[in-house]
Amino acid sequence: MSSKKNIYPFCAIVGQEQMKKALILNVINPALGGALIRGEKGTAKSTAVRALADLLPEMKMVADCPFGCDPDDISSMCASCRQKIKAGEKLPYVFKKMRVIDLPVSATEDRVVGTLDIEHALKKGEKKFEPGILAKANRNILYVDEVNLLDDHVVDVLLDAAAMGINTVEREGVSYSHPARFILVGTMNPEEGDLRPQLLDRFGLAVDVRGEMGTENRVEVIKRRLTYENDPDAFAVSFREEQQELARRILKARDNLHQVKSSDKMLELAAKIAIELEVDGHRADITVIKTAITIAAFNGQEEVKSANLLEAAKLALPHRMRRKPFEDETLEFTKIEEIVREEGGMIA
Amino acid sequence: MTREYTFPFTAVVGQEKIKRALLLNAVNPRIGGVLISGQKGTAKSTLVRGLAKLLPDMEVVELPLNVTEDRLLGTIDVEKAIASGIKSFEPGLLAEADGNILYVDEVNLLSEHIVNSLLDVAQSGVNIVEREGISHEHRSSFVLVGSMNPEEGMLSPQFLDRFGLFVEVTGEADLDDRKEIIARRLAYERSPDEFIKTYKEQDAEIAAKILGARKFFSQVEITDNIMKMAADLARQAFCQGHRADIVLVETARTMAAFAERTYISLDDLKEAAELALPHRIRQVPPYEIQEQETQETEEKTPPQQMQQPPENEESRERPDLEQTPQDSEQDLPAQQHEGRDHRGQDETAANESLQQPESSEELVEDPGKIFRVITIQTKPFERKMRKGSGKRSRTKTSSRQGRYIRYRLPQGKLKDLAFDATLRAAAMAGRGRNKDGFVRIEKSDYREKVREKRIGNTLLFVVDASGSMGANRRMKATKTAILSLLNDAYQKRDIAGLVVFRKTGAESLLGITRSVELANKKLRELPTGGKTPLPAGLALGYEILKARKVKDPDTVPVLVLVTDGRANVSLNGGDPVEEAKEIGRKIRAEGINTLVIDSEQDFITLGLAKELAEIMEAQYYKLEALQVQEIETAVRSFLQ
Repeated sequence: MSSKKNIYPFCAIVGQEQMKKALILNVINPALGGALIRGEKGTAKSTAVRALADLLPEMKMVADCPFGCDPDDISSMCASCRQKIKAGEKLPYVFKKMRVIDLPVSATEDRVVGTLDIEHALKKGEKKFEPGILAKANRNILYVDEVNLLDDHVVDVLLDAAAMGINTVEREGVSYSHPARFILVGTMNPEEGDLRPQLLDRFGLAVDVRGEMGTENRVEVIKRRLTYENDPDAFAVSFREEQQELARRILKARDNLHQVKSSDKMLELAAKIAIELEVDGHRADITVIKTAITIAAFNGQEEVKSANLLEAAKLALPHRMRRKPFEDETLEFTKIEEIVREEGGMIA
Repeated sequence: MTREYTFPFTAVVGQEKIKRALLLNAVNPRIGGVLISGQKGTAKSTLVRGLAKLLPDMEVVELPLNVTEDRLLGTIDVEKAIASGIKSFEPGLLAEADGNILYVDEVNLLSEHIVNSLLDVAQSGVNIVEREGISHEHRSSFVLVGSMNPEEGMLSPQFLDRFGLFVEVTGEADLDDRKEIIARRLAYERSPDEFIKTYKEQDAEIAAKILGARKFFSQVEITDNIMKMAADLARQAFCQGHRADIVLVETARTMAAFAERTYISLDDLKEAAELALPHRIRQVPPYEIQEQETQETEEKTPPQQMQQPPENEESRERPDLEQTPQDSEQDLPAQQHEGRDHRGQDETAANESLQQPESSEELVEDPGKIFRVITIQTKPFERKMRKGSGKRSRTKTSSRQGRYIRYRLPQGKLKDLAFDATLRAAAMAGRGRNKDGFVRIEKSDYREKVREKRIGNTLLFVVDASGSMGANRRMKATKTAILSLLNDAYQKRDIAGLVVFRKTGAESLLGITRSVELANKKLRELPTGGKTPLPAGLALGYEILKARKVKDPDTVPVLVLVTDGRANVSLNGGDPVEEAKEIGRKIRAEGINTLVIDSEQDFITLGLAKELAEIMEAQYYKLEALQVQEIETAVRSFLQ
């Protein structure tokens, strides 16, 4: 077990650019809807997620609030914090890092959504809600390893909460709802069965990861790992500057996110791609554009370019290709490139 | 916690049919709600939630999938009982829903136990609670709105019938519309306050229209003629019961009220039929009857209700496997069909050219279009508690993994305490608290959780791929049937494996996997040719399932044998037919569920498949009978 200080630096992860990008984009813009990482074991999935959370600066949180509400944003607060604000109370706050909350495959539904606080009920004879994993996950990253092995009914509530940003509990004698805005990161090994298309669609982005192929890169992976294990502190120092630079870039992108413009042309392009690829519903187009905007913000651009759109499509579409439950999923990427080239002009 | 922001109803682009259905229900709750079925990401939930914001006097009460019985129906107020000894009723969601809209997202995934309670109340409009020592009754009359993705499975006919209207949705196909959808979504996310303000006026206009229509409603007359026409329409659509007729009239009347017209027009009735009938068309008339009736109903019935004309190409190839309308309800839009069919042809062409130069011994037949299979129940015979997750066999589970739906008095050693119910029992006993201030709980108060979970089956397909199956495009029909079963398996969360036997032996093409898709892929590529080593196939299937039972004692093993009843290669040098029967006896002794699908179509049948089925105590189906329509047609001709 590594202590908190010794987390492997995000910037030290070799390769896996798509995965890193998907995670960064979600941190900049949590409205993207999380990321699904598909691939073999031992491809730094979990390391990357933890490293990213560690990279970011601390957030302002209401002290003692089980949901870690943001004291400056009344619209995303839990009922109790909101009430206090409305009553004119000052909310004490603390600074804490974004956390990675693990959801184990064996988790029971009551632990995920929360349940009746037994102790309180016994002592006081009153019903109180005992928050579950979704409460902890608010404003954090919810990491589900092997999401495809999770019980269906747990996946249902999970994705429902992820989509709404609210967890509603109507069970075991309690009726309660609270904010549950989190970045959902799921991993899976496709050989062990796929997620249902309905659930796939709820993940904003999807990336396929493979072990690094080139010998050179593989050697570099081993080398870094050994150096890190030898002296984690020194290793961290050697990446400090790079890490800080990335953190700055992420924060700046967050601030600029709403200023990035997307021209009519770009919207049209996104819609065209979706029509051409016959994706279900409208979530695909919307996610492509939102991702492109986020990419542009990360790049420090003021406006979305067709290259951003292309990159976004690579992340937002692979798991959304239209298919009946048993047909192969293929992303005809050349098709997208063609559309972008024809319509969007030169790719920058 | 109330949602801070809701995407405005009027800001949703297109989807006029859903909007219409929702508005009609808002005017006249007697229509009985609406079921919205369609692709993911088509603003289904957005519209329902948007409607709530728009209505001055109706709320949308959401029913989460994981609701427990106590919160749905209501129960004793624990706090009051403990604090003051007063036994009073604490209302549940059904009380909240009274006079409002009750919305169930992904309604097809709702636990059946909850569905039953819900249907009960939806029918009577009254919630009667007789549980946990309290007796209470309250009005609960609500508009039931459900949304679902049909890929995840359909609702039972009784449940379907509870929904007044039915709307099928797809995404907008028009480029400009799609663009507008993206633009509005972006604008909304950028600044919800401003966005909502922009649509305030339009929302208010609609709200005023609803109120106006409600006032006007009583002035709309229902003539005998309209009632007669509604009854005629319902009859021609083969609807069961009278709900369809009534819903038709109520809907048409509401449409007239919406248009502030005092009479119901023929167009109202037509439009109403489009909304009220699709989910109620129960039986498919046999072809001869259907053909005559089509002509009669042509003018009156909107096109949606009529059976799609058989697609020429498909039907020429396999006249025995027609598509049912149930099927088309779940099906993809037309352009998708075309796309797929083209691909199918190309593949077939490619395969043929590949196969032909070589000896024509091996052949890869491409499967036809997937159909809906009949309900196949595996025997709920086990006494043992099982765990697992699936939708075919319902079981009470002893593991703590299932969904807690209700409680009971403990049976045997208490393992899974239902604390909420225990506390309520203690509160009812009125013992108050002990000297330390704790609520007194005694052994007699203990209640335990009843968890429910559907477990999937382990389906092992044992498929004859010998040359005899290649004759007369038999393999095509067989593959189609297996694919359809696999499709069904997917919806029911089964896991599957595939064994084929041909030439000299049997081969496990695919180990037991959750990935039903892989099974599908292997099946598509499966060639036919050679002799028929049936005993070898059965033996391998038996070994695999036996091993599976040891490894995972909680699944229901099912062997699906697809055979034409021929056996001409022996396993141990004996008579192949006798060998097959012997293994069949072993399979039965092991308690493996079996399903025999007989693909024999010769005029004079050998009957071995049937004999084997009897030995294995298997459910036996002719290949063609797997399709829903066949069974229903059989029932119909029996009734006449």
